[in-house]
Amino acid sequence: MLFRILKNSFLKRPKAIFLIFLSIVMGSAVATAFLGIAGEISHKMALELRSYGANILIEPSAAEGGGFLRDEDLPKIKTVFWKYNITGFTPYLFGIAEFSAGGRKERGVVSGTWFTKQLEIPGEDVSILGIKGIAPWWEVQGRWPEDADEAMIGAALAKRLHIAPGGEVTAHVRVGMQKFRIVGVVTTGGYEEEQLFAPLVTVQSLLQQQGKVSRVQVSALTVPMDDFGKKDPATMTKEEYEKWYCTAYVTSVAKNVEEVMAGSRAKPIWQIASAEGALLKKLNSVMLLLTILALGASATAVSTSLMASMAERSPEIALMKAVGADRFQISAIFIGETLIISLAGGVVGYLLGNQLAEIISRTVFNSTIASPLWLFPTAIISALVVSIAGSITPLRRALLIEPVTVLKG
Amino acid sequence: MAELIIETTNLTRNYGDICALKPLDLQVPEGEWLTVMGHSGSGKSTLMNLVGGLDRPSAGSLQVGGKDLLAFTEDGLARFRREFVGIIFQQHHLVPYLTAVENVMLAQYFHSVPDEAEARSSLERVGLGHRLKNRPGELSGGEQQRVCIARAIINSPKLLLGDEPTGNLDQKSTLMVMELLKELRAEEKFTVIMVTHNQEVAAWGDRTIYLNDGMLVREESRLKVAEV
Repeated sequence: MLFRILKNSFLKRPKAIFLIFLSIVMGSAVATAFLGIAGEISHKMALELRSYGANILIEPSAAEGGGFLRDEDLPKIKTVFWKYNITGFTPYLFGIAEFSAGGRKERGVVSGTWFTKQLEIPGEDVSILGIKGIAPWWEVQGRWPEDADEAMIGAALAKRLHIAPGGEVTAHVRVGMQKFRIVGVVTTGGYEEEQLFAPLVTVQSLLQQQGKVSRVQVSALTVPMDDFGKKDPATMTKEEYEKWYCTAYVTSVAKNVEEVMAGSRAKPIWQIASAEGALLKKLNSVMLLLTILALGASATAVSTSLMASMAERSPEIALMKAVGADRFQISAIFIGETLIISLAGGVVGYLLGNQLAEIISRTVFNSTIASPLWLFPTAIISALVVSIAGSITPLRRALLIEPVTVLKG
Repeated sequence: MAELIIETTNLTRNYGDICALKPLDLQVPEGEWLTVMGHSGSGKSTLMNLVGGLDRPSAGSLQVGGKDLLAFTEDGLARFRREFVGIIFQQHHLVPYLTAVENVMLAQYFHSVPDEAEARSSLERVGLGHRLKNRPGELSGGEQQRVCIARAIINSPKLLLGDEPTGNLDQKSTLMVMELLKELRAEEKFTVIMVTHNQEVAAWGDRTIYLNDGMLVREESRLKVAEV
């Protein structure tokens, strides 16, 4: 009988039912789309944020005498547990030099590094590493060095030496000298503008520090730090440590890298890591808030439609009560109706939401997304939440209907 | 003498400052056909609603079938209505999107378990065996009222309440409905309380009470009416 009542009720009031259905579909679709792309957005945003610079710095540990790192250890960075999260790194070897050009002399830092380095590790994908990848905001007038005797000079140092791309600079160090052809002038807005950048191997040779590096900057995809991530690993239980180690906190990735670099100490560059974490957290909060607002708007629309429907059906409800329906039986009819509409709305909302997520992903990030399995139950649950939240007030009104008042006359 | 099915003492119903029913003492024996007459606003429908558990009194006591209706919760009153009372409305009040047989089954559904065969049989008893699948909009006023009667008697109530059940019917349909009620009452032995303006309809009852301005002003048995 309940089925007959529901079936006939649907067939008899298609417009009202369609409005409720549409409200649920909209809520469910928006929730599906937002939640579906939330993970993708976090990932893409994290990638975008990586262009703001390295977030991990590896230096020789004080315990090892604060000397140098070994460049033969560098490929190991791309073999660690979090290797897929490490989007780039570059080594540096620093030395104090006196630069001379066109009769002018200036003291500064000669910095050996990788500009663009193709790293091939057996059994691993080929990685393109170097400063070009982790500092894409550097403005280069001219071009990046390619040959062993080519260099790029910081804008401040270039100004003092009155040198431009195409000129020559000689670097004098305690143990030797090297002539460089300047192919680019770099503006970074930081201390790098006082340095001369040359290929790592050339600088190692100049400083007679073959196979050594002073520090390594690493750029890694990490998750925002939470209270657990901020705990000191030394105080953790075994289970906590495993959980911490297997979560891509900047601290756990740093620890992971430190383990493969002999005599090293890896530490997060907090101003970068914290800013990223805060931004990603805010982004996730905005997505969640938008989802909640969309569901709230849908629930309000469902409620409004149901209120209008209840007003129209008050004689019917009053009659049911008059012939003996109690509150549970009245509720069962109206909740049954709403549940059927919400299940159908949830399925349609899921399909529509997937398409919406695909469009957003393609438009904003120029990529496709894979719909996770959990999204389907999420869409259905969103639809149920919308319908239940939207039904509360109308149902309460329905239960307050007095047959004597409505059936009078 | 038959047992009392309805017994009221000082039964009163106020709506704000308006007293719709002044303290009323009324006794109705089981099986009686009681007609309630009076002008509009005299308190007839108020009395019927109270007796049928559709409304609650402001004061006084109300026993129906040995049950104190004042002690019931809202759901308790709903249970009382579906198990004890059948109601026939002037406006029929059928669910427009259900067929005649489904409208009858609706009362079964709220009472216990819907039984289509029993609902069909009930409609056949009121002469609507050929209109089972018609919706209310496809039935005449008299036919709709007979569906309403079939629905009212489907759960074998002890008390049948009629709120001007012939008020919207022509003379021929009125006669048909009244004869039907008489037959059904003879078979089912239920008690009837019928509110009406119509003296001819009132004459079908065993006893008539007259209300005026919420107060019982006159009471007549069929014999006495006949004498008048």
